[in-house]
Order: sequence, then structure tokens, then C-alpha cells
Amino acid sequence: MFFNKYNDKKDGVIRGYDIRSPKIKVLAVLIMLVCLFMVCVCLFPAIWVFLASFKDIREFTKNVTIIPDSFDWSRMGQTWKAFKFTKYYYNSFISIIGSTICAVFFNGLLAYGLGVLRPKGYKIALGLVMWSLMIPGVTSIVALFRNINLVGLNKSFIPLWFSFGANAFWVVLFKQFFEEIPKELLEAAKLDGCGVFQIFTRIMLPLSKPIIMVVAIFAVTAAWSDFLLPYLVLNGTDKVTVMVKLFSFKDTPTDAVSVLRASFFAIIPPTIIFAIFQRKITDGAAAGAVKG
Amino acid sequence: MKKGKRRTEGQSGFRKKDLMAWLVMTPSLLLFAFFVWEPLIENIRLSFFSTKMYQVVDFIGLNNYKAVINDVDFMAAFKNTFAYTFWSLLIGFFVPMIIGVLISETVHLKGFFRMAVYFPNIMPSLATIWIWSYFFLPGPTGVLNILFGKLGMEPFEWLNNPAWTIPLIVITLTWKSAGATALIYMANISSISPDLYEAATIDGAGIIQRVRHITAPSIIGIAKTMLILQIISVFQILYEPMIFKNGGPNNASISLMMLMYRYGYRDYNVGKAAALSVMVCIILVILSGIYMKATAKKEEN
Amino acid sequence: MKKKLVSLILSSVLAVSLLAGCGSTTTDSNVTDEAAGAASEVKVGEVTEASAEEPAEEVSITLGIWPEDTLVEDIAVHEGYVQTMKELHPNVTCVPAYYKYSTDTFMPMVEAGNCPTIFESWFTEPTKLIAQGAIADITDELAARGWLDAMNPSIKALLSDKNGRVYGIPRDGYALGLMLNVELFEEAGLVDGDGYPIYPKTWDELAETAKTIKDKTGAAGLCLLAKDGAGGWHFSNIAWGFGAELCKANDDGTFTSNLASDEAIAAMEYVKSLKWDYDVLTADPLSEDWGTGFTQLGTGNAAMYIGANDAVNQPTQVNGLPVDKLAICPIPAGPAGQFSLYGGTPYFFSKDATPAQINAALDYLEVMGKAPVATEASVEGMKADAQNKVDQGVPVIQRFPCWVAQDVLDAEAAIVAEYGNVDPKMYDAYFEATSSEGLHLEEPGLTQDMYAELTKVLQAVLTDANADVAALMKQADENYQTILDENLNNKAE
Repeated sequence: MFFNKYNDKKDGVIRGYDIRSPKIKVLAVLIMLVCLFMVCVCLFPAIWVFLASFKDIREFTKNVTIIPDSFDWSRMGQTWKAFKFTKYYYNSFISIIGSTICAVFFNGLLAYGLGVLRPKGYKIALGLVMWSLMIPGVTSIVALFRNINLVGLNKSFIPLWFSFGANAFWVVLFKQFFEEIPKELLEAAKLDGCGVFQIFTRIMLPLSKPIIMVVAIFAVTAAWSDFLLPYLVLNGTDKVTVMVKLFSFKDTPTDAVSVLRASFFAIIPPTIIFAIFQRKITDGAAAGAVKG
Repeated sequence: MKKGKRRTEGQSGFRKKDLMAWLVMTPSLLLFAFFVWEPLIENIRLSFFSTKMYQVVDFIGLNNYKAVINDVDFMAAFKNTFAYTFWSLLIGFFVPMIIGVLISETVHLKGFFRMAVYFPNIMPSLATIWIWSYFFLPGPTGVLNILFGKLGMEPFEWLNNPAWTIPLIVITLTWKSAGATALIYMANISSISPDLYEAATIDGAGIIQRVRHITAPSIIGIAKTMLILQIISVFQILYEPMIFKNGGPNNASISLMMLMYRYGYRDYNVGKAAALSVMVCIILVILSGIYMKATAKKEEN
Repeated sequence: MKKKLVSLILSSVLAVSLLAGCGSTTTDSNVTDEAAGAASEVKVGEVTEASAEEPAEEVSITLGIWPEDTLVEDIAVHEGYVQTMKELHPNVTCVPAYYKYSTDTFMPMVEAGNCPTIFESWFTEPTKLIAQGAIADITDELAARGWLDAMNPSIKALLSDKNGRVYGIPRDGYALGLMLNVELFEEAGLVDGDGYPIYPKTWDELAETAKTIKDKTGAAGLCLLAKDGAGGWHFSNIAWGFGAELCKANDDGTFTSNLASDEAIAAMEYVKSLKWDYDVLTADPLSEDWGTGFTQLGTGNAAMYIGANDAVNQPTQVNGLPVDKLAICPIPAGPAGQFSLYGGTPYFFSKDATPAQINAALDYLEVMGKAPVATEASVEGMKADAQNKVDQGVPVIQRFPCWVAQDVLDAEAAIVAEYGNVDPKMYDAYFEATSSEGLHLEEPGLTQDMYAELTKVLQAVLTDANADVAALMKQADENYQTILDENLNNKAE
């Protein structure tokens, strides 16, 4: 029965004993309905883009409907082929793999230094990192882009990979996790003759699988969605990624349904990843920021 | 002599450990330097120079700043940026809280709700901007007009109505990010001890009073942090107005960052772009200062 | 230990690159040139027998003029051109790299060294691009081929700097006309006894025609643009009909904005009435840009749209309008007469392109039949293009002459006669009007900035029934004058 489950309710304002009151029952049902409505609002755009991708341009601009006249997969296939999405996916995957490795490795290493080793003067570095948490990169993208060209890293994935190695938010996540690892373990490793770097690879990383998972998933979705720097660095080369392509539609006379199909292709991989790791992702998202 | 030697020894042992630690951090710090800190400083330098393409030409003092302030679109962008902030406080601040509280009260499908409200967050923002742009089409074929038309409503102008442009853009931002914030609130809510509620019930507190006196105080701290983070992020709004309406109608949605993008990439005026971004940074630093102060107080408590 | 080593190497690499970054800020140009030089990716090996005058060195060119991704049939035609290139110039490798010029994407691409060897742009751009040193001087290459004299002199002047150096060549010219969706005209009963659309001759007539169409078919009468600079571009043509002169070039080299003249205000009032009195525009002019305008016309959501002969593939091939249901008539006349904005699409070349690359790109244009030569390959290219148009339901109509080479004009005329797939009467009035006195070059000064200002006014009057047109135009006038002063006038002194 619908209301019985409320007796085992562990958190929240409405307690198990409240549910006996009819007023509370109505309230519980109302809340349920509101939540279901929110689900519709949250999921509908993604469902709509899937449906709209089956329309052709005439149907799209003239018909006042949500459901397409027919589900013609060949249209999707044509757009996929015309845009060479296989290539863009491939490029995006290269970009993601490098970015994720950099995100875990460099931010983890810095957090290890700032949270565990704490050498003399580490507070300066920590302060700088915390401040960069406040001023994200968009403001200095022009200067950054100029620098990348000056050092000759343009037309390459390298600056995109490394840019993920400097993320203050992820440093903080790692740092918080590392600080909770028992110091005794580190001391024991030190007695066994491990150097600082070996402690990191042999003790810290294996113990940090949960946080690595969280940062890696964040990095994967962020790298997939990232477009301004990739656009500036890669546009016009053969390394164009899915998002770079999507951003360039701003200026090309590509028809609306092709743009929609491309948008649909762009949300497939994150949706799949989300479907697989949803539990980890939602838990990580909540846990990560609670202390930050 | 003896004394001195011993001291050096002690210090050098200490130093070696520090040195190793700094060495471990060096690659990451270099990345931070290259991608975050150096561009910030470089920006300040560039803002005092005239440029040809992306090359520095002459020192011109504050002329870039003057040019920015005299720019025909600056005032509009400046006002809009604060309007974005205002609306995001009004809409974006409370919605996640409400979502968090509501989902906390469900026992059925809770995991599904959590997942669903977080889902927009993992969608690439570019794709969602393109999708929303078709939702907001003013004609009868606009998706929202189709939906509301089924309820018997007349087609609405959506983003074309300058009074609605910014609030609607903020709604799309909220749609995208509210779920993530709501999850954080939910985590906080679920860590509230049930005893508190029970004690309140015994004191005769109804549902509303319990929310007000128990739930609200327990999330207010994190809410403050969320608030300032939100202000900082919405202050840099760029892509949504750019792709939705290119800053229109008649500058109704142009933002400071969009202006910076135009200076840097349309007018090739790197100095002017740098000057504007320095100005934005100063505002953000002030906001961050407020944030730091707020969190410091929180920790003291 | 291994990992430690890796991290050390990584960090030292980073350190070096950082240092290089700091060090080279003072001598940036060398670095960018170097990086760009690497872009030409010269291929070694496989030296083939090339004709005597061909340089044997391997050259790779990136083609920004490649068709947009979704135009698969056009891409097939270009793949044919690449085949021809391989036969005629085996040392040239062609790399497709579709690029649609836009003001805010071009510079980052140049800066990153990703600019295609050859790309299309607009006639409003050369002054700015030449001043920034962003495009290549191709005078010598053109002179060697004898193409300089074949170019229409007024177009050549547009593409040259003060010293007479030439930086681009025209793809073709265009003169704006009014594209008609004949299906909607038929549906609204606006056709004469022979089935030809009865098109509006003046702007007032246009409003009435549009009203009739809206009432009888439900489709918009006119698609007006107000999303980006293209809105101002179309508006300037409307304004001329009302007698406006939007920007004055003074004798001392300065420019004066003239957006707030009574004539310009009258033109804007007219546009406003199309929305609020007649209500004949598409649902959202503020979402309409050059490309979506053709979608509205081609898919039957709008009956009229300002467009030109060089874009007839857009409503038909791209948006599905049957080939015989498209017509173009002259731009309606205003109180001050009939004017057609006359412009063209220029080809520009990357500043980083070597002479060999520029020559290879020019060879490619020959193969495409877009060059002032009527060689066998060139005529073949024109034919392939025409055949593709026939296959894709694109009207094969005459081009607007941008070259004065008679043999080319003859060859083009012959191809139009051979492949012509539409009733010329649908286009007669347009071509008549555009060969007369009414041609009007785009406004001088910082034209794109002027368009941007005008577009803002368009957005205001199309979203607010109570908008004060005179005040808005005055504001735009002041804004544009500020921009002119800051960027041109003060620097001219």
C-alpha cells in the first residue's frame, strides 16, 4: 500500500507517525505529483530532441506536433554520415581520455601535496588554488588562447588535456578525501622506505578509488561538454570534436533538423554513462560539494 | 662551528622533505600557472596595450578601459549582467532548495527522482542551448507554444519580449543546474537527526513549522555558499545569450562576457577584451571576498 | 620510480614551454609564422611527371570553399574536381575544410594557424582584413596568370589596398532581388493568366501582396531578417528605396553616420508597419538569419524573401522547394526609386599560404570553372556544376558577371542555354532591373558595424509596437558615429 512505506521513512520532515493524518496523506500525494511533474520537466527536452530528430525540415517548420509523422531511422543515418560523426566521436574520445587522466593525476598530485605532505609555505599555493576556484577561466580565455598559440600548442589535443589538470574544484575534492586517510598508514609506508611519490602511487591512489571515480566521471562529462577552448584550438583542423561541431552551427547555414540531430548525437554518450553510473554520480555530486 | 653545523644538518633534512613535496606538486602547479594564473596576469598587462591582431604594439595607459566604458553596448551589458544576477537569485536560488525539500519527503521512486533532476546537469550545455532555442520559438511551431497551445493558450513571444528575455534565460540555467544543487541540499537534509523532528512534534510543531525551524536552519550555511557560487557563475554568462538571440532583442540579453568575446574575436581588439575582463575580475574578486568572509564566519561558528 | 621520471619529464617540458611562452611575447610573429609554416605539411616522395610549367614540389591546400557537410551531392561534385586536380596537378593534395566566414570566428582561426588556404568571405571585409594583415597578397600570382585585367574593375578596387595590391578574387557577383515562393502565390491567386506570379513593384504593393498571401494561405508574406548583421544588410537596401544615404564618405577620408535621416526613419517606420499594421512577417524575425530565411521561403512558411541569384540552391536543394516554383523579381521601388544592393562573394587566401599553395588554390578554381579562363577543365567544371544543379533541382540561371573575359562569359551563357531547367520568364524582370542604373554598392565605412546597429533597431521595432523609431534611429546614429570615430576617423588624422 502506498502509505505503508512512509512508516519506514528515515529522513525529512514528514515522519512515519504523521502519515496517519489524512491531511498529511494528501500532502504526501501532492508532493509525489509535484515530483513527477519535475521529472517530466527535466527529461522532456531530451525526449523531445529525440522525437524531433525524426522530422524532415518541412515537417519541422510547419507541423504543430511533438510526435513525428514517422520514425525514419535513415534520416538519422544520413545526418550522422554527412557530418562524419564517427570521426567527431573518435576525436572527442581521444580528448576525453587524455583530459580524464590529467584531471585525476595532476589534481590528485597537487591535493596530495597540499593536503598530506604540507611542505613549508604550502599555504600560499593553497590560497592561490582556492582563489582560482572563485575566478573560473572564461574571463581570461583570450589571454590563454594567445599563450597556447605562442608556445605552439595550437592544433593539438595537448592543451585541452592539460587544461583539465588545473581544476581547483577537483583539487579540493581530492584534498578533502586525502585528509581523511589515516596518518598511520602513511607513517608505516614511510618506515618501509617508501618515498613521497611511492606513497602516492602505492597507498593514496589505491585507497582513493571512490574519489577518483567521482572526479573521473566529472572529468568525462566536462570534457565531453567542453567547447570554447577546443573550438579555438581545433576548429579548422581534422581534430574537430562533437562540441566543436555543435558550436560552429552558430555560424553555418545548417538546417534546423540537422542541428537537432547533431544535438541528439551529442547527448547520447553522457546519457549512457549516466545510465550506467547514475548512483555513483548522484552520490558523488552530493557528497563532493557538501564540504566544499 | 659545531653548533652551526648541527643546525644546517637539521635544516637540510627538513628542507629535503619540503623540496620533495614541492617537486611532487610542481607539475600541477605549472599547469595552474599556465592555464589559470598566468593568463590572469597576462590579461592585466594586455589591458594597458594596443594590439594588432594578437600582437602587443604600444603602451596606451588606461585607454582600453576608457574605450570599454565608452563602448556603445557597454551600459546595456553592464546592466544586463546585474539583471542576470538578480533573476538568478530570485529563481535559481530557491528552486533547488524546494526541489531538495520535496524529494526528501518522498519514499517512492526517490532514487529515480534524484536521478531525473540531476539528468539535465550531465547534458552538454551546447546541446541544451540548441534544444531550448527551439522551445522558445515564438510561432505556433515553437515547442512551448505547441504545449501551451494544447492548454488553449495563445502563442507567446518568449525571448522576443525584452522583459522576459533574461528571466527565461535564467530559467534555462536553473533547469540545468538546479538538480545538482538540490542533491547537495538533500544530503544535508538527510543528515538532520530524526530526534529533532520528534522533539518538535512533541512540542506540537506542524509540518510547516518543522520546515521553518529545523530544515531551513540546517541548510542555510550551505545555501550561502551556493548563493555566492551561483552569483559568480551567472556573472560570466556568455553562451546562452550568444546562441539564443545573439545578445538581442536590441541588446536586451547582451552580457559583459559576450562583449568581451566580441572585442577579442570579432574586433580583434585583445587589449580592450583584456580591459573588460580585468574589470569583471575585479567585481568577481569583491564577490569572492564577501564569500571568503562568509565562510570564515561559518567555520568560526 | 618510472612514474616519478615521467612526472619530472612532464614538468620540465611544461616549464620549458612556459618559459618559451614568456620569452616570445615580445617576438610573437616569428612563432606564429613558424607554426603556420608547419601547416602546409609538405609531402615527400612520389614525384610524378608534371607538365613543364608546374612546380614539382608537393603542395597541400585546405579548401574552405568545400560545401557544407549536409550537401552530400555538392560534395560529390567537389570530389570530382579533386579527381580532375589529381590528373592535372598530381603534386597537389586537397584537404576539405568547410568554413563559413563569420566575423567572430575568423580571427581565432587565423591566430591558431587553422585558416584554410582559400575561403569565401564578403565584400564588406577586405579593408579590415587587409589592415590586420590577415589575408594574403595575391597580386603576383594573379598577374602571372593574366587574371588581373580580366577582373571587373570596380570589384578589383574593392579587393585591393591603397597601393593597388590585390588580396582577393570574386567568386561571382550578386544583386539583391526578391525571391518568390510561386506555390504560395498560386495558392493566394496572385498569378497572371500564364501562371506567372504577380509580384509587387513598390514597397507599398509588397505590403498589400504580403497581406493577401497571409490572409489566403496563412503563410507569412515576407521573411525579414533581424537576428544578426544580415538584418541591417537587407534593411540598407530597403532604405535606399526611401532615399536614405546611411553613411557618408567625406573628402578628408573620414566617415559620417547618417542613420537618423528622415528617409532612413521612414524606411524603418515602413518595416515596423509590416509587423504591427500588416502583420505579414514570419513568427520570429529575430530568429531569422540568412540561412533560415531560405528555410522559411523554401518550406512554404514565407512567400517572399530578399535574396539573390547566387543562392537559388538554398530554397530548392536545401529546403525542398520544387525547381519550377522559385522566381526572382526586382527589389520593390520606394519613393526615391528602385535600387538593388550589388555585391559579391570574394575568395580570400590564408596569410600563411605559400605562393605554391595560392597557385594550387587558383588551379582548383579553374577546375571548378570559377576562374576567368575557359579552358577545357574549366568548362568541364562548369558543366559538372550545372549537371549537379539539374539533378538536385536547383535552377540553372546566369551568373552575375564579375569577370570581363568574353570567352568565359560566352562559355557560361552556353552552359545556361544547355542545362537551363527553369522558365527564364521567372527571372527576366530581375535580370533586367539588375543590369540597369539601380545597382548600389554596399555603404562605405565600417559596414558590418552599421549593420549591427541597424539590426538592433530592427529588433526593437519588431518586438515593441510602441517603439519610438526616430529615437532608436538617433541612438543608432550616435552609436555608429562613435564606432566610426574610434576606429577610423581618429586614426585617419
